[in-house]
Amino acid sequence: MSSPNVTTATASVALAANAVSAAAAPVSASPASTKALAAKFLGVGLIGIAATALGLFVSPPKTVVLAWLVGVSFWTAIAIGMLLLVLIHHIFDASWSVVLRRQFEHGLASFKWLGLLFAPLLIITWMQPGFIWDWTNLASPLHGGHGTVGDDVLYIKKAGFLNTTMLTAMSVGFFLIWMWLSARLRKASFTQDSDGNVGWTTMNRTTAAFGIPLVALSLTGAAIYWMKSLEYHWFSTMYGVWFFANCARGALSIGIVITLWLSARGDYQGILNKNHLHSIGQLMLAFTVFWAYVTFSQYFLIWNANVPEETFWYNLREINNSDGQPNQWKWVGMLLLFGHFFGPFLALLSYRFKVTPHIIRRIAYWILAIILVDLCYNILPALKDAHGDPEPFLSMTLLWVVTAVIGVGGVCAWAYLRSFPSAKLIPIRDPRITECLTHHE
Amino acid sequence: MSEQPYGLIATFDTAAGLYHAAEQVRDAGYKNWDCITPCPVHGLDGAMGLGRSRVPRISLCGGLLGFTTGMSLIYWSGAVNYPLIVGGKPLFSPMFAFPVSYELTILFTAFATIIGMFVLNGLPRHYHPVLKDDVILRGLDDKFLIVIEAGDPRFDAIHTRALLENIGGTGIKELEA
Repeated sequence: MSSPNVTTATASVALAANAVSAAAAPVSASPASTKALAAKFLGVGLIGIAATALGLFVSPPKTVVLAWLVGVSFWTAIAIGMLLLVLIHHIFDASWSVVLRRQFEHGLASFKWLGLLFAPLLIITWMQPGFIWDWTNLASPLHGGHGTVGDDVLYIKKAGFLNTTMLTAMSVGFFLIWMWLSARLRKASFTQDSDGNVGWTTMNRTTAAFGIPLVALSLTGAAIYWMKSLEYHWFSTMYGVWFFANCARGALSIGIVITLWLSARGDYQGILNKNHLHSIGQLMLAFTVFWAYVTFSQYFLIWNANVPEETFWYNLREINNSDGQPNQWKWVGMLLLFGHFFGPFLALLSYRFKVTPHIIRRIAYWILAIILVDLCYNILPALKDAHGDPEPFLSMTLLWVVTAVIGVGGVCAWAYLRSFPSAKLIPIRDPRITECLTHHE
Repeated sequence: MSEQPYGLIATFDTAAGLYHAAEQVRDAGYKNWDCITPCPVHGLDGAMGLGRSRVPRISLCGGLLGFTTGMSLIYWSGAVNYPLIVGGKPLFSPMFAFPVSYELTILFTAFATIIGMFVLNGLPRHYHPVLKDDVILRGLDDKFLIVIEAGDPRFDAIHTRALLENIGGTGIKELEA
């Protein structure tokens, strides 16, 4: 992932500094530089993917495959967050977020590529059952030599849900739901640019009404199948909500990065004002608290009830089974507590931080990075050493996580930029566009 | 009528007129003055040169006080005053003190915010000199008013009146203290 700071330097065309002329611009400010940038991102993405593939020959293949799962989940989470924020925008008939929504609509173009990039995980599972998710092979041995998955009563009870056919059908289904909703939202919004028909707005509102429950269920299912089932003995009803909190925080942070980039490049001059940043920042603060509430509740209930079927998930993220010594994941957990909650929470309390571009941009980058750590915390301890203890956080795996994130991220950025010139810069004929452009002004 | 009036009041017909007038009163360096409008005027705080409200700082103090109260309440009662092992848990852990601290953080923040807002706004106030003049009735209905208080260091009966005239104010009159 090349830093958007670099991309701002490639900006060439600055648009007139008032909203009306910007709105009247046919497409984006600079189609040529957008196209060149898209090609660069695709190149970076392909290099990332190639580097990750190379990792298969350097590190144990399972570590690289789980790193790929982290990378795909990270960008899928952000795309789901964008989808939900667009749906929520429509269901509330919001006005302030109209210009932000257009960028999310472009971001939704990444779902089909994310689906494609997720596919290798399913192919691997069909070719080598049990390689990623133990329960996809009934002959997988249980830790501590207690027989196999097929004999495990805790598996047998869940067998109707946890099997390769269901995993495949569900994952394909989730991506189809996201792609279908995205296509509906994009078509309605983009067509309205040319015909100005208010009917598209009401159609999107309808899409939002049935889309929000669909996305809520599908993202919960995805979190359960892809991440939680890595330790299929474990259960937490908070898990989907935890994933949703990360989705929303990731999408808002990317929203900050994109809008500030467009602002610096000139496209959003006269469109984006302080109050938009303030509103996005307030939502970032709200979802920071929400993430903490959900994550803490999950931890606290398990800590308080102290039932072994639940506590083992946190135990192996704190101490080694073999010698009882603290492991690296304990400090990763502390990093999440302070870096995913307290830090961003205290920073986002400040009005000045929320509306000062270079500060809020840094906060957004930080949140994106820590979401990645959170996904690592949930996924990577599934890699066990010979004693059944999780492999340490600081290892070669982290390198493959980075290459996977760059690989998938490059493709997502390319999909966004490829979609960018296909519609007007902002939804100029949205019924709420004037309200948005003068948000609290 | 006392010798020293409360201040001068001027009427403006439009929100835009008031907005630009406010900018000039601000630039003339007045501090003790106010705008009275029948509806919210976006950006007027900037035109008047008002900074951000100080209420959030009071809220933050309330929040910190609430969090500390929650933590110390659970610590003192569970680990000091009446140590009792419950459910095999330690006598004190921030884990189980957290829900209480969290609730108290919200409660105390809310109190601090409401009280801070009232105090900084000088509320409750049942009487204000501008209520003496009937012009306020239009200011609550369809006119926009600017009041410059005589207590302002820059106030001068003649110059201030001239300023209000220059910036488009009509019906300028003195308000009884």
